[in-house]
Amino acid sequence: MKRFIKLALTVIVIASLSGCGYNALQRADESINAAWSEVINQYQRRADLIPNLVETVKAFAAQEKDVLLGVTEARSKVGSIQVSPEMVNDPAALAQFDAAQGELSSALSRLLVVVENYPQLKSDANFRDLQAQLEGTENRIAVARQRYIRSVQDYNVIVRSFPSNLTAMMFGFDTKPQFTVENEQQIQQAPKVDFGSE
Amino acid sequence: MAANSLRKLFSVALLLAPLLAGEGAIAEVAVPALSARVTDLAQTLTDEQRSQLESRLTQFEAQKGAQVGVLILPTTKPETIEQYAVRVQEEWQLGRAGVDDGVLLVVASEDRTVRIEVGYGLEGALPDAIAKRIIEEDIIPQFRNGDVYAGISAGVTRMMAVIEGEPLPPPQRKGRASQARINLDWLFPAFVLLLIGRQLLTAVFGRFVGAGLSGAMLGIIAWLVVGSLFVALLVAFLVFVFSLSSGIPGRRFYRPWGGGWSSGRGSSRGWSSGVFGGGFGGGGGFSGGGGASGRW
Repeated sequence: MKRFIKLALTVIVIASLSGCGYNALQRADESINAAWSEVINQYQRRADLIPNLVETVKAFAAQEKDVLLGVTEARSKVGSIQVSPEMVNDPAALAQFDAAQGELSSALSRLLVVVENYPQLKSDANFRDLQAQLEGTENRIAVARQRYIRSVQDYNVIVRSFPSNLTAMMFGFDTKPQFTVENEQQIQQAPKVDFGSE
Repeated sequence: MAANSLRKLFSVALLLAPLLAGEGAIAEVAVPALSARVTDLAQTLTDEQRSQLESRLTQFEAQKGAQVGVLILPTTKPETIEQYAVRVQEEWQLGRAGVDDGVLLVVASEDRTVRIEVGYGLEGALPDAIAKRIIEEDIIPQFRNGDVYAGISAGVTRMMAVIEGEPLPPPQRKGRASQARINLDWLFPAFVLLLIGRQLLTAVFGRFVGAGLSGAMLGIIAWLVVGSLFVALLVAFLVFVFSLSSGIPGRRFYRPWGGGWSSGRGSSRGWSSGVFGGGFGGGGGFSGGGGASGRW
């Protein structure tokens, strides 16, 4: 009978591990890692495109030094950040990464605005291909970020909801930081509406 | 402690509330059900044109294995066509599982936007630059002339030509892998529980009732863990049969069928397993935003 009780207890423990979200936590955690790798991958793909892009633009619009320099600098800043899978647990590192990538995004969009003034460059086949690649990569980044956000959200809900939060507490799973909206400060401020004084 | 976890629960509810509310509020364009390779929600193609495209795409899939889908709709607003195309492909899953050789051509006729969404497996054959060229050189000129069919047809032709050159695994005759991904975590604990519980229950209640009870219990457990009624019913039934047919011969009573009461949870609920019937479905392919878009 004693053996029986022992066996029954073991079974209950095993059953509750899969029933109380332990496996779900593991799965969600791993899917965050996968989604994060995809995000890094796509950002890397964008960074790899930039030297070629800068060279091509330079050939037609060498006088736009400031804009080109801005892109190159933002690119090297992005390159200097140490990227690791552990970043997903560190809000500060994540924010820093995000900020550097955001700077590169705005430098790139300034470049593409300037390009509008150079019809020859715009019709260059090489540049058009590069631009298509850049657009595709930006879209991939958007998709990868969205999937990452979704996987973090799924994970955090598991960590916080009952009864899996008990399992999470027991095994030291903590909620993970999300990407923040870039202009959060601006959004939080109520817009001032001025109807003019009479 | 109790107050603490209650507060936690409450905060989760608060966290979820805007999400749930938000989903209704944004009112995105719904993804149509996938029933054919060419889906025309804007009524731009004639029946003949549609079936012609359809048969070319069907033939191509039979030959090469890659799935090409066409979706024409009035508008994707408030989303961009890129966002919408990703959502459609997430749901349709064009392309074979593991090979990810699906391509989706989306045309939003009122927005005057078009997108080629390329599955992971075809990003080599159909990179962004090529997709962009197909849009700009083959599709958009025809669209500008007002001939949607000619544009789509030309685009599809060139896409197929490009994919043709890519070495892909050969198509399989009836090779649609079962789409149900069954979660096997519950299997081991359930099995152990079954061995113990069955003996206990049959000892107490006798063979038939005991088997029924253990079937029902494991069915419920399976349902809670896996979350699928189908799997739960299957488990309940298997356990019932297994319990009934093995073990010590029942001492209490062994009555042949006829009492009129059914096994474990064998209610006569008809289950519908998945969406078959249309004759066409995605093979389980994925994409990650690769491809190109354009406007005319």
